[in-house]
Amino acid sequence: MRKMWLIAVTTYKQQIRSGTFLFLTFGLPVLMVIAGAVPILAASRGTDLDSFGYVDQSGKLSPVGQISMEDHTYHFQSIPDETSAKAAFRQGDIDGYLVIPTDYLQGEPVSYFANDNPGEGLDMVFEDFLRRALLPQLSSQTLQRLNDPAKLTYVASQSGERVAEGPALIIHFALPAVLAVLFGLAVMFGIGQLGAAVVKEKDQRAMEIVITSLRPGELVAGKILGMTLVSLTQLGIWMVGGGIAVALAVSGSVDLSTLTIPWATLFWAVLLTVPGYFLFATLAAGAGIIAGESQQAQQLAGMLGFVGLLPLWMAGVLLEAPNSPILVAMTLFPLTAPTVILFRMTFTAIPVWQLLASFFLLVASLLVAVWAVTRIFRAAMLMYGKAMRPNEIWKALLKA
Amino acid sequence: MKPSEFALRVENLSKTYASVEAVKNVSFDVQYGEIFGLLGPNGAGKTTTIRMVLDIIKPDSGNVMILGGTMSEKAKERIGYLPEERGLYEDMTLLDTLVFLGQLKGLSRNEARQRVEKYLREVELWEAHERKIEELSRGMNQKAQFVAATLHEPDLIIIDEPFSGLDPVNTRLVKQFLYRMRDRGAAIIMSTHQMHQVEEMCQRILLIDHGESVLYGDLEKIRQRFTSNAVQVELAGEPGQVEGVESLKLENGGYHMLLKEGVRPEQVLKALVNLPDITVKRFEQVEPSLEDIFVQVVSRQQAQGEVV
Repeated sequence: MRKMWLIAVTTYKQQIRSGTFLFLTFGLPVLMVIAGAVPILAASRGTDLDSFGYVDQSGKLSPVGQISMEDHTYHFQSIPDETSAKAAFRQGDIDGYLVIPTDYLQGEPVSYFANDNPGEGLDMVFEDFLRRALLPQLSSQTLQRLNDPAKLTYVASQSGERVAEGPALIIHFALPAVLAVLFGLAVMFGIGQLGAAVVKEKDQRAMEIVITSLRPGELVAGKILGMTLVSLTQLGIWMVGGGIAVALAVSGSVDLSTLTIPWATLFWAVLLTVPGYFLFATLAAGAGIIAGESQQAQQLAGMLGFVGLLPLWMAGVLLEAPNSPILVAMTLFPLTAPTVILFRMTFTAIPVWQLLASFFLLVASLLVAVWAVTRIFRAAMLMYGKAMRPNEIWKALLKA
Repeated sequence: MKPSEFALRVENLSKTYASVEAVKNVSFDVQYGEIFGLLGPNGAGKTTTIRMVLDIIKPDSGNVMILGGTMSEKAKERIGYLPEERGLYEDMTLLDTLVFLGQLKGLSRNEARQRVEKYLREVELWEAHERKIEELSRGMNQKAQFVAATLHEPDLIIIDEPFSGLDPVNTRLVKQFLYRMRDRGAAIIMSTHQMHQVEEMCQRILLIDHGESVLYGDLEKIRQRFTSNAVQVELAGEPGQVEGVESLKLENGGYHMLLKEGVRPEQVLKALVNLPDITVKRFEQVEPSLEDIFVQVVSRQQAQGEVV
């Protein structure tokens, strides 16, 4: 146990000092933030616009001079025809103009003329303007209610659990999916690195020295544990960073006291993702042992990761039929169980027998995988730079 | 006190890979306080034997008693091993690597750190302790691996080709180190092709060929058995092929001739005297070198193999 822990700590220290870890942990999120921020920044340019004209060809709109949304006031002026509107726009009197067609009420689209894309914010401004212009007799309060007709509170019929619409509801439904995605990321990045680390261990030819100091199982377990700690560190940094970013983004607009933590979801998430991750890690270590070179190990681990992430590509089925036989089968299949269950939790209440069966199958598979990988490891550890053939793997499994 | 005078006792060890018998019924023992030579041509089965002794691979049959019992986790901590296929963690520093390997052998971190410093100073490598393994020269790497195999002061040391990659100065340094270990009471198994090192350092040897034990025992006694099979000759003229001679080489201004099995020195002397344009200036029966014995035994084995 002490030696397994020593291997884990040494592996952990080696990995977190490597350039690959530093790039994946800090560089990749920065690149993703930059990639995500560019379109948002580009779209937000439209919010500087606040003076508009409109040409009502339908004759159905009542005059509306201005509307206020959040802290902004937007001015609207009626213009009799398109030619005048175009002239006013060219002279800079207005930032853009709307043309409401004759058959507007029959569904004819409204045109917006401007130099800039209106962006998401202006769409809402125009929609609010049109609602007010169509229904001038309604009070401001009624109009506001019309914009947001109901604040729903969802009540679970069996448990009686109540979740109010808003951030709490988003957390309630999105959390399992977010956890599934995080699990997928951990598997995708973690197991590839683990496979490569095992190949490196073989390539550096230190194996023969190390293996005369401890049991093969201790070496394999130590490597897996060390690399899992690396993945957890990576995930932890991403989650803390992401959490801080989200908290900063919503600060002031969300009352944190209204948020509740869905403990049942978290309980099953931990119970399934921990053995789930170790199963992937063990199989990835096996891939590293079988492979002759790190590229091959990463390919094998990538194939494993693909199986684990398969549910991410099945969003359609998950949404429409979360209790379909194929999804129940994937719930019980150890490699897809963690992600499928977390996604299904978003859309349906999963029977407890399925959750328990899945957990026990996962743990059983993990034990079998550890046994098999340790056996293969013993046979393959001295095959420097050489991949194991299927018949050699089979022999290693049959023979101690 | 050692529980047994033998650090290692191997009985009828065998291993077959597919249809190849890598090791066939090999038996030997190694005592505390001796340097034991394990010899054999490439592919003879030396490394397979060592790996079975160390429980890295399982034998098909046979017994290994190591440090008074069968292999255990406690026994592993009393063994030092320098394998033929060797390497260390290239992206770790020399100090971190050796402390880690020392801890794996049961030393505490502090103890390992102190031992590493002491041993690295002894092999004149302390200046490089902060350098990464990948930055070390081949010779430095070799010495580092030697320290890794011995810093926990094991009772049994198994070293495969310990002097490859070392210059004469470092070879002497490592030898002195090994002598100190032996004098401390450790049993040392040295597998090497360098016969002069075995002659100089080992008291007993095992010669393996084609997986079989072909020579085993006290080196002096083995030499005595082969005494009549070599002569040192000084000649005027080039002898060419000489009847009854297995091989000859120039040595100390004369010829060292290894005789074929069953050939007596006087028969070779007669053959030399009868050669035209050759004058025998000196003819002396010598003890054969270990290399002579090695060549002779292995050639005989090969000849038998060909006949079969």
